Amino acid sequence: MERAASDAARPRNPFARHGRSESALSSQTLPEAFRLRAGNFNLLVLRLLDPRPDAVLPALGDQFRRAPGFLRFAPIVIGLADLEAAPEEVDFRGLVEGLHKLEIVPIGTSGGTQAMKQAAQTAGLPPLRAVGGAETEPAAPPPEAVAAAAPPPPPAEAVPRPDFLGSGRAAMLVTEPVRSGQRIYAQGADLIVTATVNAGAEIIADGNIHVYGALRGRAVAGAADDATARIFALNFDPELVAIAGYYAVREGLGDAPIGKPTQVRLEGEEMRFAPLG
Amino acid sequence: MAQVIVVTSGKGGVGKTTTSAAFATGLAQRGKKTVVIDFDVGLRNLDLIMGVERRVVFDIVNVIQGEARLNQALIRDKRVDTLAILPASQTRDKDALTREGVSTIIEELSADFDYILCDSPAGIEKGALLALYFADQAIVVTNPEVSSVRDSDRILGVLQSKSKRAEEKKDKVKEHLLVTRYDPNRVERGEMLKLEDVREILAIPLLGVVPENESVLKASNTGTPVIMDTESVAGQAYKDAVGRFLGEDLPHRFLEPDKKPGLFRRLFGGRAA
Repeated sequence: MERAASDAARPRNPFARHGRSESALSSQTLPEAFRLRAGNFNLLVLRLLDPRPDAVLPALGDQFRRAPGFLRFAPIVIGLADLEAAPEEVDFRGLVEGLHKLEIVPIGTSGGTQAMKQAAQTAGLPPLRAVGGAETEPAAPPPEAVAAAAPPPPPAEAVPRPDFLGSGRAAMLVTEPVRSGQRIYAQGADLIVTATVNAGAEIIADGNIHVYGALRGRAVAGAADDATARIFALNFDPELVAIAGYYAVREGLGDAPIGKPTQVRLEGEEMRFAPLG
Repeated sequence: MAQVIVVTSGKGGVGKTTTSAAFATGLAQRGKKTVVIDFDVGLRNLDLIMGVERRVVFDIVNVIQGEARLNQALIRDKRVDTLAILPASQTRDKDALTREGVSTIIEELSADFDYILCDSPAGIEKGALLALYFADQAIVVTNPEVSSVRDSDRILGVLQSKSKRAEEKKDKVKEHLLVTRYDPNRVERGEMLKLEDVREILAIPLLGVVPENESVLKASNTGTPVIMDTESVAGQAYKDAVGRFLGEDLPHRFLEPDKKPGLFRRLFGGRAA
């Protein structure tokens, strides 16, 4: 699964070009009933590798059970680019039905051939266009590889630094202490906390977690099963850390640099704790 | 408009009621018209600490249920004439308190008083939530001990999410930390959390530190708010805290351990009591 920015409306969209297009759309006399606005969203992409719902759904269910609740009713995009099958071989209706049963809400497709897109559309899955024409990788791969694969930046936008390409993830910023009993979830985003996370608090992010204070509560990174997510804390003193469903409780932290600036990452199924700086 | 101040802690037995009584008395001694409300329906104690238990006729539940007027239930303090107490009911159920009822009472008191102190019950259940709901400011009472600090942390989160100010997205409730039962000798021996540790975890401004002191128990038993005992260190610490609350810049006292016994006392077995 990967993350991609869906484009509700980017530069070529007529609604987005004029700043005040909503006033032209609304009636002159009646009070305004709606406003059309462009919005960008981070969405999970479920890249299909096998056309059969029977093959996809059970495995998906297993994976989601490891992170219960995190993805309930989360909108998801079906990625068709990697699918090596004829359009008529894919049971889109069965897939949609099965996803709904898992409490996942498919909202459209990305990639794939024209015929494949049409087949999906008949099942109620319209094609979405990723910003910049491509899905982004979940985390930054080596800069050289990305620079070569990256699409040309859209005109009239700031040129992204080549070493930052590939991580089109938003970040949620929390500046107040996260207190016992509080739970913060940065969906589809990194989480940055500039205060302490106290014992009994829980912070969760689909991306990386940065704590520029003491981390004394629980930190769950890569909650949408992103094994490349990492946890950084200036004062590492957690009750529990988890990345992509793999977790370690305080007792299992062993020789982790407790109380020191620390980085946590996943190497295979092993959690690694390294001093920072 | 009166300022509504909740005295809260999450944990029980840390000194909320002692603090409410001392603080209300201290504010009133400074000439502020002050009323202190006991929200601990079913386990009322404030009237005892304030020494007015024999004058209780009606209580907050009577007022909410329309059985008495607010003025009939308010008890005027005989020592400080700007101080009044609204007692809790000992016999009713906590459910007798309603948000609408409390709202009406606070509105009515707002017209006559400068400060309304709400003495919260322990926990994070209905009574505690009601006590903090209308607060403009909060005094979070904490003992230098892990479970108390954690409960205070929890209640700070509740203040940020469940108070009226939070619900109406107004400026957040102004928070003050009051560390009570602080014993510098035990801190030095590592038996108690250091003040710095408590401050670091809770990350709110420090209003005062009240040392562990036998005068507090004596004051409770005689029904005299400890702030009236001007000789005692606890009384002085509360007085300082009230001063700081009113904007005075006072240094924190009573933070250092007692002096080590001298050579003479050590040699001749002078045992510290």
